[in-house]
Amino acid sequence: METSAAKDSASTYSPKQLQEMIAAFLGSDHVPKRFKIISDTSDFFRVEYNDVVILAGVPYLMRNYTREGRFGLDDEPKYWVRKAINLKKKEVKIMKFVFHEEIDAHVGEMIFKCVRSPGKEAAILDMVTGHKNFMHGVAVRDTAGNIIRILDFIRGKRLDELVYKQAENHEEFFYHHLPGYLSVYGEMVKAIQFLHEQGQKHGDIRRDHILLDRESGDYRWIDFDYDYYQEANMFGYDLFGLGNILIFLVGGGDITIQHLRAHASSFVDKLSLEDMNIIFNNRVANIQKIHPYVPDALNYILLHFSNGANLYYENTAQLLEDLAEVQIHA
Amino acid sequence: MTTDHTKCDITGMVERHIMIAVDSSDNARRAVLFVGDFFGCYEGFQLTLLHIILEPEATFFSDNEARQQWLSEKQTDARKFMEDYRHILVDAGFPDDRINVRIDTMRASSVADCIIREQEEMKCCTIVIGRRGISKKEEFIFGSTSNRIIHEAKKCAVLVIE
Repeated sequence: METSAAKDSASTYSPKQLQEMIAAFLGSDHVPKRFKIISDTSDFFRVEYNDVVILAGVPYLMRNYTREGRFGLDDEPKYWVRKAINLKKKEVKIMKFVFHEEIDAHVGEMIFKCVRSPGKEAAILDMVTGHKNFMHGVAVRDTAGNIIRILDFIRGKRLDELVYKQAENHEEFFYHHLPGYLSVYGEMVKAIQFLHEQGQKHGDIRRDHILLDRESGDYRWIDFDYDYYQEANMFGYDLFGLGNILIFLVGGGDITIQHLRAHASSFVDKLSLEDMNIIFNNRVANIQKIHPYVPDALNYILLHFSNGANLYYENTAQLLEDLAEVQIHA
Repeated sequence: MTTDHTKCDITGMVERHIMIAVDSSDNARRAVLFVGDFFGCYEGFQLTLLHIILEPEATFFSDNEARQQWLSEKQTDARKFMEDYRHILVDAGFPDDRINVRIDTMRASSVADCIIREQEEMKCCTIVIGRRGISKKEEFIFGSTSNRIIHEAKKCAVLVIE
């Protein structure tokens, strides 16, 4: 069989050896005839499907890139995040190449600068080794010094996909499913507290950045390469994200003004601006006004994230303290 | 019996030591002008002009060179506005040798935590700080240094200058 593999100087594998390894994983019928062997990933657009990337002496067969999944970015390809197969261990991995990006993060009407930091994600991966509430992986440098993150592939659904359509109606969801989710939520807040105590932040806390690992049954935070600089409170944006997730959970999904109007709900007239999410003004934060069985202790927490709030959570300990007071009884 | 006017009886702190926590903003400058106008004509005060450079984690930067450049620019800027503030205070009547100028580079979760730590160490009886006048939304996401100091500072007076 003829191959035109372009061999990189750092590779210790011959094209023939790699083809044998690929055959052992994919079967001999699926061995690519032409592929590149790459050890410098600076130009990650050059890394194509079926190429082999060598990192720390391990060959990885490159598969498809991943896609962003929410907020109007559906199907937006993330070219720097690729599925890959560790040909030595025959394991599926997610590989994140270095993509230095400065982003204007839009939060409601506010805009602030965010950077994508491979070094931050690498530091956190090291920090959370063995922690059940985070994705796991290692960071290695390619021959050009780029910090490549090689992540364990998590098979499972996103938290937001799990919450939708759990029950016939909200009351049933509230009494039968929410207590379990609140327990998970508390666990996830403690995981963020673990980062904060070590001076790190998640940086992009969203409900679709929590995955339920089907194999272990653990919920895990993913994607922590965003970083930003806020000197008045380095962790304020993380707390904002935690608040949004709680509002989403208690509501059994987003309760928006548009949704209430579409269903000609009588609650629309009872809501004021003070009841709405402080940043996303179309989302109801004072959920007790819609569902009166939401206990005061829980609604009190939600109100910290509403327009009517005069006091905000400054750290995870304050949020956890209030969360510990919440009890839901049928 | 003589009265020691350098003691601050109310707070139990060592002396009448005022800390002005500043940055390059207009409101910080207003705080300095306020202290000059209000206290410049009195004797017996020790002043500390404090600016905190809150250093991000090293991983915030693409490499160490970027980190060093960031720190160097912050320190150069700080030296300029701190010298300006020192002049304002001297012109207002404070003796030069009673003005302590400090630029501290620190790691913490907020500038307010650093200011409070410094106040406790230096035993200042008053913290003076300018208020940014940010919106509720901005305070919610980004935090407010002056509000945090009002809530967290102990055994000292806090003057917030609008």
